[in-house]
Amino acid sequence: MSLAAEAFVSQLAAAEPWPENATLYQPLKEDQILLSDHASSLAVQAYLRMCGLPVQVLCRVNSEFMSPSGKIPFIHVGNQVVSELGPIVQFTKAKGHSLSDGLDDVQRAEMKAYMELVNNMLLTAELYIQWCDDATAAEISRPRYSSPYSWPLSKILAYQKQWEVRRKMNAIGWGGKTLQQVYEDVSQCCQALSQRLGMQPYFFNKQPTELDALVFGHLFTILTTRLTSSELAERVKSYSNLLSFCRRIEQTYFEDKSS
Amino acid sequence: FYFFLVQSLDPLPMHGRDLGVHPDDLIEPPEQEQESKQEILENKDVVVQHVNIEGLGRTKEDLLGYEISDVFHAKSLIDVRVCHTSMSTLHCTCLKQKPVLGTDALPNGLDVTFEVTEIKRLTGSYNTMVGNNEGSMVLGLKLPNMFGRAEKLTFQFSYGTKETSYGLSFFKPQPGFFERNLTLNLYKVTGQFPWSSLKETDRGVSAELNFPLGVTSHTLKWEGVWRELGCLARSASFAVREESGHSLKSAVSHTVSVDSRNSAIFPSRGALFRINQELAGYTGGDASFLKEDFELQLNRRLFWDSVLSASLWGGMLYPIKGQPSCIADRFYLGGPTSVRGFGMYSIGPQSEGDYLGGEAYWAGGLHLYTPLPFRPGKGGFGDLFRTHFFLNAGNLCNLNYGEGPQAHLQKLAECIRWSYGAGIVLRLGNIARLELNYCVPMGVQSGDRYILRFTQICKISVI
Repeated sequence: MSLAAEAFVSQLAAAEPWPENATLYQPLKEDQILLSDHASSLAVQAYLRMCGLPVQVLCRVNSEFMSPSGKIPFIHVGNQVVSELGPIVQFTKAKGHSLSDGLDDVQRAEMKAYMELVNNMLLTAELYIQWCDDATAAEISRPRYSSPYSWPLSKILAYQKQWEVRRKMNAIGWGGKTLQQVYEDVSQCCQALSQRLGMQPYFFNKQPTELDALVFGHLFTILTTRLTSSELAERVKSYSNLLSFCRRIEQTYFEDKSS
Repeated sequence: FYFFLVQSLDPLPMHGRDLGVHPDDLIEPPEQEQESKQEILENKDVVVQHVNIEGLGRTKEDLLGYEISDVFHAKSLIDVRVCHTSMSTLHCTCLKQKPVLGTDALPNGLDVTFEVTEIKRLTGSYNTMVGNNEGSMVLGLKLPNMFGRAEKLTFQFSYGTKETSYGLSFFKPQPGFFERNLTLNLYKVTGQFPWSSLKETDRGVSAELNFPLGVTSHTLKWEGVWRELGCLARSASFAVREESGHSLKSAVSHTVSVDSRNSAIFPSRGALFRINQELAGYTGGDASFLKEDFELQLNRRLFWDSVLSASLWGGMLYPIKGQPSCIADRFYLGGPTSVRGFGMYSIGPQSEGDYLGGEAYWAGGLHLYTPLPFRPGKGGFGDLFRTHFFLNAGNLCNLNYGEGPQAHLQKLAECIRWSYGAGIVLRLGNIARLELNYCVPMGVQSGDRYILRFTQICKISVI
């Protein structure tokens, strides 16, 4: 969003408190949603729970097209519609809820850097594995993505999405990578995160921040989603402190309801 | 191309002349002057014995049989000349006739030769259009008489600053009966609907069969469309945002119409009755509904050159298989084409200012058209104008299908919007009319958008 639009939205948002009927939209959980979308959605859900803001999760077939930016998830609060974790964090901040207020400038910069790392590495790796690996694309991604539509629209939309993602991968330079290289990149990312976490409960010691929500969203989804091969999950499992981090957040914030 | 005549004219009694002809040959008409064979037989009874057509390329023979069959019925030279203008696939440049020579010649027999040039294989057009904050370039290509039997292939491509659309159409008539025809279409069109904050992109194929049956004309059509809906602005209401996405509609429709009006734009007598029904969902696709709509128009000439015109439209959309109806399938009401005095399609269910359409509607109008007062420009330009006084009414709502027909009628009868007023109408060619009206909207419900007592300039295309 441009600066002026952002300021305008903040003005509007700050006026009203968080309503009871806030909703979060994502694709159908059982049949349609893919790994990368589920990770992003879980990250936003974790963040909102950490802030103590109630939100209801609704599954819609056309969530991707309903979203103003085309990305999952998006939230409908009052008469505002905001999508993706970054803008949602800004939005809740304007309403007076924030997790990173206690951080100083250096820590905030560090948090932003790690969030960029997760987005550039983990999210891109998830997209690559889903759409650029032929086995996964044919067995899992295309059937799931096209399941709500009838023939021939299902085929058209699935291939259109695949071409779009592959074009994006080529544009950022991931087009030439092999699957093994991608797994290596994931391992390196996990190593960096593991080192930063150390033995602390959260990344910035006692209090969770949006970085914790983001990392939880991605790692938990990777650990609990069945793909054609389990190598991705194995790579994450090899870092025990990340495993216990995920378990801790799940128990603290998701235990009262099934996530 | 050479055609030999074996047909006969209306049977007339022979007048005792021994012509030495076969019983199958022509019977000579009673009056006959023996003219010099070199003279042109104007207005004299003639008999066409031979027809030649020169200059043909790809047009097939069986098609020509139908085209020139009328020539053989010609009784005079004038009839022969009239026949040649009816050929649609050929352009007849020259019509020659000469008296028949040879053993089978009759005294008034004619040997007719058509010299024709066929329509060019490919014609193109290029237009530039500006309107609705968009400029576009339109390129058209036409291949008439493609395979020799009056088939036509048309391609139109429009490239604009905002949207691109194209259409490919193949038209095949039945030789000899051009009213029975088949059309195949392939198209992509985009539309923007600001009253709903909606934009729609349709990519589809359709096959259409037209045929007359008695006084009615029928159309049977199958259409498969991939529809993509999106919000026109970030401020679109959430109800419209929920409709965004892709859907596939595969529908079969049937239209029957009876049209006895003498003109489509300013009819002064006759009636139009048209019923259309569409069933979607049983030939594939996501959308599933039954849609009915009808149109009735009656015209009658009154005293002093004025015309009274009454019209009634109505329709109903019935979703099948439990799915809710889609905003792209619903009916819309309001504006200069239906209920004047209200904003374009701005009547009925709405959410945050965006009109969502309804599943059932009716609309009616009573118009009185008179010539301009004091008849300026009579006989020329002034005839294109009419004053009209109108009374419009209508209603658009969603029905609760669990209740019976009584409840439906009751719902359609409550909250009727209506308006009255007067204005001037101008006819543009045979396809459109331009109106300048003063309207008073009444029965406005909360949520409708109306134009209060302002003059309203509107353009209507009448189908």
